[in-house]
Order: sequence, then C-alpha cells, then structure tokens
Amino acid sequence: MTRYDLIVIGAGPAGLSAAAEAAGAGLRVAVFDENAKPGGQLFKQIHKFFGAKEHKAKIRGVKIGAELLAEAEKRGAEVFLNSPVAGLYKEREILVRRGEGVGHYKGDAIIVATGAQENMPAFAGWTLPGVMGAGAAQTLMHLHRVKPGKRVLMLGSGNVGLVVGFQLRQAGCELAAVLDAAPRIGGYGVHAAKLARTGVPFYLSHSIVRAWGTDKVTGVVAGEVDGGWNFIPGREKQFEVDTVCIAAGLAPATQLLKMAGCAMRAAGADWLPVCSAVGETSLPGVYAAGDVSGIEEASSAMIEGRLAGGAAARKLGFIGPDEYEERRQVLLAALASLREGMFAPQKRGQISAQTDEGIDLSQTLLRKGYLEEGEVGKYPGVKPAAGIHPVIECTQNIPCNPCRDACPQGCIKVTGGIAALPEYDDRAGCAGCGLCVAVCPGQAIFLLNEDAGDGLAEVTAPYEFLPLPQKGELGAALARSGEKLCPAEVVRVKLAPAFDRTALVTFRVPRDFAMRARFWQKEAAA
Amino acid sequence: MSSERTRDFGRYVAAADDDVIICRCEEVAKGEIRRAVRDGLFTVHEVRRLLRCGMGLCQGNTCARLVRGIIARELGVAADSLVEATGRAPARPLEMRVFAREQGL
Repeated sequence: MTRYDLIVIGAGPAGLSAAAEAAGAGLRVAVFDENAKPGGQLFKQIHKFFGAKEHKAKIRGVKIGAELLAEAEKRGAEVFLNSPVAGLYKEREILVRRGEGVGHYKGDAIIVATGAQENMPAFAGWTLPGVMGAGAAQTLMHLHRVKPGKRVLMLGSGNVGLVVGFQLRQAGCELAAVLDAAPRIGGYGVHAAKLARTGVPFYLSHSIVRAWGTDKVTGVVAGEVDGGWNFIPGREKQFEVDTVCIAAGLAPATQLLKMAGCAMRAAGADWLPVCSAVGETSLPGVYAAGDVSGIEEASSAMIEGRLAGGAAARKLGFIGPDEYEERRQVLLAALASLREGMFAPQKRGQISAQTDEGIDLSQTLLRKGYLEEGEVGKYPGVKPAAGIHPVIECTQNIPCNPCRDACPQGCIKVTGGIAALPEYDDRAGCAGCGLCVAVCPGQAIFLLNEDAGDGLAEVTAPYEFLPLPQKGELGAALARSGEKLCPAEVVRVKLAPAFDRTALVTFRVPRDFAMRARFWQKEAAA
Repeated sequence: MSSERTRDFGRYVAAADDDVIICRCEEVAKGEIRRAVRDGLFTVHEVRRLLRCGMGLCQGNTCARLVRGIIARELGVAADSLVEATGRAPARPLEMRVFAREQGL
C-alpha cells in the first residue's frame, strides 16, 4: 500500500487546483484520473471564461487547464492518468485501476473532485447512434477533431447547450435549433445571442417527442409542452438532423462519496454531500470540491479545489493557522464574487424580472435569444455617441468585468459589484482600439461608427469563425435575430495577440442599419 | 415506504412509451419498470435487483435518475423521497482478471 499526504480523485479544474494548492504547501500529492488526458472538461472549453482577473476571466478554458496542470506538476504533484478510482473507503483508502491490475493507496487526506455526469432524458429513439450528450460532442470536436455530424439539434438552453451549440457552429456544423422544455433560456443571454445572430432559432417550451432513423438518427419530432411539462397535441415540429445533442443538465458524480459513507442531502433532484465551507464532508479528512459538491461553473470549481487543498494542508499541519486563515478569506471572497448576480447557485429556480439596476430584463432575449432593437437603449452600456464608440449589449447581471479592465481610456465602468451591468462613459472618449470587443467572454460588445461617410456606418463585431473574411469581401449583415439585412463589405479585419484569436471584423452597412447589424456572414460559395 | 407495503397503487396499465429503453447497459424498458412497481417493488433497490437496471457497465450513471423518476411517478411520490441505490466498488467497470491482480499490497 502506497501512502500519500493527499490523494485527489479527478484531474479536472477542482482536482488540479486542489493538488496545486496542497503541493505548494509541501504535501506529497497524488492525483488519479480515469481519462487519458488531464484537465477534465477544461481542455474542451475553447471559449473565454467569465469573471474577474482573479478568476482567470477572458482566458480560454483550454489555456487555464494547461497552466493549472503545469502548476500542479511543477509543485510536485504526481498525476496518474488512465487510472479510474473504483472504490473509496472511510479509512481514506482508495482502490484504483493501474494498468492490468488494481492498486490500493492511502491518503492522510482525500479530495474527491469527480465532477458531474450528464442527465439523459429518455425518449423513443434516444439510443440511436447520433444521439449524444453535449459533452460527447465536445469531446469529439476538441479532443479527437471529429465533427459530430452535419446538422445538429440541441436539446437544452443552459450554458452547456449554448456554449456547445456555438462550438458546433464553429466546427462547421449546422445547428437546426435549440430546444428547451422550460419557458425561458436557462443560460447566459449573451451566449444565446451569439447563436441567434448566426441564424439559429430557439424553441422554448419544446422538447423531443421521439427521434427516428434505422441505423442512426435521421430526424426528430419535437413538441410544445404546457406548464405541466405535457406535450400539447397538434403542436409537433419535425427536424431533419443527423445528430441530436442533449444538454439537459448535470448531476454531481457522487458515487465514491456515497460509497465511503459521507452524509448526503437531497437538493432538488440531486443528492449532494454535506460539506463545510472548505468542502470537508462528514468523514474527517475527506473533502469534496467542484461539481461533485454542487453544479457550478469551472471558475468556482477551481476556487473550491484550492479551498479544500488548503484545508487539507492545514489539517495535516503543513501550514500555520494565520497563513491558512488569510488565504482562506481571499479564496472565500473570490468565490463569493463568482456567486453574485442573477445566475448565482443560491438563486437557482428563482425568476428575476429586472436587473439589479431595476431595468426590465428582455423577454425576447429569454424566449428567442436576442434583444429587440427598441429595447437595447435601456441598458447602461448602450448610449448614442458621435464618432467611434462601444455598444455594450450586456443586459443580465453576470459576475464578469474584463471589459472594464481592458479599456485603456477608462470608458467602461462596472461599479457596485462584479455582476453590475457595464456602463459606457462617453466623457472618457473611445479610441476605437477594440480591446473591449475582443475580451468580452459573451461577445456582447460592438464598436460603432455611425458616420463613416456616404451615408454608411461601420460596425465592428467579434468574429470566431474560420476562415476569416478578407478586406473587401462582400457578405451579408445579419440582425441580432439572424435575419439577413443587407449586403455588407468587410473594410477591416484585426487580429492582435491581445485579442487571443477573437478577430475584429469591421463591415459597412447603410446608416439605418447601424443599430441593427450585429453579425457578418460569409456568402455561401456559388 | 415499508408502512405503505399493503397500499394498492393499482394495476399495471400499458402505456405507449413502455418500450422505450431506460437502462441501456442491461436493456431494461420503461414498461418493465412500471410493471415491477405495480407488482409491489416500491424501492430503487428492489427494482434494480429484479430487473438489473443500473447494474451494467455504467453502474447506473445514465439511468439511475430516470429509474427513480419512473418509480416515483408510479407511486405518486416525489423522486427525492426515494433512497438511491447503494453504491459499491467497483464504481468503474473492471475486468475480473484486473480486479484479481492486486499490486503493491
């Protein structure tokens, strides 16, 4: 039996953070993960993260994963891959597959960071090839470089469904629609808006009746549901698709915690471990961190991992009480700021009608995924101005502020908490650098110059599709709804290292379309 | 639930979606689970032992919540009032030849 100071189960955002924190304090740490590659879901997250600097905001998940792995290994944590943990016992012992045998390891502390698994709804045809979890589609695309299909239907409008839907579009798949049985889009409005403006329709209060096909899925019948989640007869729609992605929520992967005998509590449809503020379960020295202790974003999981890693270091005497307490307070504050805003875990199930600023939320955004032209001006990031200026279409309280830090002129204010809506301060004078456009993780900031001459306006939008357009290329300007407005010529394509691969595409439209055009679409080759 | 052992939940009535597979690993259909409940198996444990749903390769990771939901609906109770099936090692599929080869004891 091999002994470690700390055994971490799962090399995802929480596990790697826990390992890095504890190894940094001098603990001998082993991390076990069942996958061939470390990072959990992080290496599949090609989008920029929300949050503040301390949460690694505006950095893409895949890069955060690489940095975290390097940090953990540099500090001496041993990461064992292809090593599924098959058992956890209350004496803090684990049973792990190692090659063609099983090994027993004992830890003075154990951190369970096993993440979550996807919920699957059962409908007729759900076992057909081509019906898969959104996570599987991400794995195909980002780890194996395989397109999941040509034309995809997404079930689920939470952040997973929206983010994976956008990634499917980036991979060159067609997205037939995003469905959700709920009457409102569950994820961030900005994620939905990214999809809607490329022409993806949303069907809320809709679910899948059945999928059909013989050898694989070739189509889906969807139906509208009433308030009691029952299908309304006669309201079916058909979609011809070769792939169905399911993003119907996540369930904490608590099997090992339950097996070890940790006290559990019912939380909605899930069972969660009873944990202290630093993740210690009812079994002394056994901690839970990340999604396994309650589903949240990867940013929160990383802080929970560090909290648990630090607590283990303190418990085993590697750090003193003062040093521990100081670090703990910093981490708890960082976690609390991520739990601000209308999507906070403690607000799950509640429906907000207004932002914290008292502005009505866009109902069109919640039902169709885009803002109406007439309502954009209600939000503090949207102000008419002469010359070039940003239009910040950020309308929900999400804990995120990279736009404020990005602006060298100090034009963008996020005051009164990290989840406040950004405000455009026109007194500072926008220089048109476009940094705010490139860093916004929600791709919700545009630059506008309403007087570019000849009755034309210039719209600069973030663009993350390949191939990039060329200067002078003629395409179409699309509205927030994805509606085609007019032909549009690209006048500039900017790609600076600071943009981290988000290109800024500037296109010209008639001035009347300046506040309507939000996406430039390549014309299909004739 | 034991106090409700004698309660009559009514007989099994066939439904249109009874042939939908719920446990993919062990190929258990929805109708089989519904019938088992009507036959008097009121807990996740009992249904699992009779039908093997949740005892296959994925150890119930995909279907546990679905099975619990179906049983709860048949009984007319909230799903979180049903205790989940006991988790046991191995939590991940291990071939017996691997399981039997213990290293570094």
